[in-house]
Amino acid sequence: MITAGIDVGTQSVKVVVLKDSKILSREKTFSGFEPAKAAEQAFEETLKKAKVSRSDIKHVTATGAGAEMATYRDSTISMVGADAKAGAYLFPTARTVIDIGAEEARAVRCDEKGTLLNFVVNERCAAGAGTFIEAMARALEVKLEEMGPLSLKAEKASQINATCVIFGESDVVTLIHRQEPKPEIARAIYDAMADRISSMVYRLGVNPDVALVGGVAKDVGFVASLKRKLGTDVLIHDNPEFAGALGAALVASKRAGVSN
Amino acid sequence: MTSKDETGMKYLPEIPQKEIDEIRSSIKATSMKVTSENIERMKKSAPNRPEAMTYFDGIADFFGQREREIRAAKEEGKKVIGYMCMFAPIEFILAADAIPVRVHSGWYDTSKIGDRIVPVEVCPVIRSTIGAKMVGLSPYLELSDAIISTLTCDGMTKLCEILSDQKPVWTMCPPRVKDSPQSMNFWREELKAVKQKIEDLTGNKITEKKLRSAIELLQRATKAFRRLQDLRKDSPVIMGRDAMLVNQTSAWDDVKRWTQKTEELCDELEKRVQQKTWACPPDTPRVMVTGTPMVWPDNWKLPNLIEEADPQGILVADELCSSDRLLYDPVGVDEWTMDDMFNAVAERYLLTSTCPCFTSKDGNKDRINWLLDKLKEFRVNGVIYYVVRGCMLYAMEYTRIKRILDHRNVPIYYLDTEYTREDVGQMKTRVEAFLEMLKAGAEG
Repeated sequence: MITAGIDVGTQSVKVVVLKDSKILSREKTFSGFEPAKAAEQAFEETLKKAKVSRSDIKHVTATGAGAEMATYRDSTISMVGADAKAGAYLFPTARTVIDIGAEEARAVRCDEKGTLLNFVVNERCAAGAGTFIEAMARALEVKLEEMGPLSLKAEKASQINATCVIFGESDVVTLIHRQEPKPEIARAIYDAMADRISSMVYRLGVNPDVALVGGVAKDVGFVASLKRKLGTDVLIHDNPEFAGALGAALVASKRAGVSN
Repeated sequence: MTSKDETGMKYLPEIPQKEIDEIRSSIKATSMKVTSENIERMKKSAPNRPEAMTYFDGIADFFGQREREIRAAKEEGKKVIGYMCMFAPIEFILAADAIPVRVHSGWYDTSKIGDRIVPVEVCPVIRSTIGAKMVGLSPYLELSDAIISTLTCDGMTKLCEILSDQKPVWTMCPPRVKDSPQSMNFWREELKAVKQKIEDLTGNKITEKKLRSAIELLQRATKAFRRLQDLRKDSPVIMGRDAMLVNQTSAWDDVKRWTQKTEELCDELEKRVQQKTWACPPDTPRVMVTGTPMVWPDNWKLPNLIEEADPQGILVADELCSSDRLLYDPVGVDEWTMDDMFNAVAERYLLTSTCPCFTSKDGNKDRINWLLDKLKEFRVNGVIYYVVRGCMLYAMEYTRIKRILDHRNVPIYYLDTEYTREDVGQMKTRVEAFLEMLKAGAEG
């Protein structure tokens, strides 16, 4: 049975096609100004890559802030529901799944079947999510992908405030004026964000194993800070940004099975 | 509390009448639109909505039948007494032949007007009520000859000062510890003072006979009110929003007519129970909300989200002073003497309150016990703890309540928001995830 999951995020659209719970293909495209078009395009490309046609797909489940943009969906699932499913699929021992996307951070507690047991979502502020790192990299004048490795070279920890992107930026500027080395500032940025994320996770309870998914999981600098703050190791899979789409595709398989 | 400062008004700024009129008519137009949209949405979620709801839809209009009735009664010499919290002794107001109306505001747009004089950190219920007064939006507030303001939270305490710039305000101070003997003595004195003020304003003496008939009138209202809530305990025969609207209209409708209409609604619902005509599928996740009051018409966003969500939920109960708490407790009288009746009224308003402004040697345990009883009686699957930013007391009690519900394996979700329409998308994400979780839990 072939099913698909689509995650229409604030920054990018991700699609995963599954056959009997095995990944056939995955594709990502930027949402841009026309997310509906992007959702269509990403879907087409994933199908092409998987060498299947629309009629082969039994069920499509959409998730993400723009789930309604995926007009071809058969059903929807909340982002935290998709995280729980994907987390348990990728790491059968994971009981806490943290998902950090461009604009939102979430943490879920799940069981071995990927049932959502509890969840927390960050407060209405992007300072705990990917766009914060992007804004800070700009302030530091380094490329986004370079900031993580740079931060690992830090010899000591400086501090900035991450209650909000704007204040965070002015703190970074202060550190630049004080001529702090860039690696220290980069680490301070990750530490501040990891502080916010970990206090959110503590509200849920840190239940090992902990898995990290979402685009930010690819940032080695953030991962190092998060491990320090949580005091535990964090499981990370290749392609962590596809977790939402994968979770949706898994839900689609279940729903297609039920309707048969 | 009517004295003036050397500056004239204590708080309220001088706004040109033209500007006031413009703001009022624009917000009034939005409010009327929101009211009818909310009712349309409620109809859409319940295709076989009870016919008896038509009456409540009409009385829910702040600029309609009820406003005209109160205006006409005033012209005939009746007095109108507005109040904020659920502590104003309605029985006394009715016994003095005056009209009680609750006047705290649920209008989102007036909170932005209130921002002109108090900081945005202040609870939006307060800011919105201030704004409503500044532009004269609320007919019930404008028609009030005096306002009874109970000093429950910090916001309410300062609100009464602000309103006193334009209206006579009578304060009532509840003792923060409600179950000590000195508290009850103090509270009785507060009630005695307010009773005198009601008599002075209306020129009507609250006699034994009149007080008894007012108490009996409200006891009948409580009976109808409880009958409606009882009908929500089993398979859903009425959507939660419909029941909430019925509950809330009791705060401004004519008590006798409201009671009769609620009984008619219950008759209709009982027939539906016999025919097994449900308002939504019986396996719909059963949600209870608790926290900050949700005031009609704008602040209906959480009830709308829950009952329009995918997967859908149904509000089977709440612990809100804007709904299920309103008429739940009757005044219990042993002997129909003035003293006994007076004491029974005092006890009803103080001792039955689960407002987080209270504490006692075991904290606000009454609220916890009430929540736990309701969870069981209404077979609640999960609780949404709803707080508007700035509502400190409800926000702070969350931790204790969450611990208890966690201990009993009852899912609870903290949802904070503002008097704004902009965050509905984010709230929807959270509410739907919570409902999915409840549904998954129910399916095992």
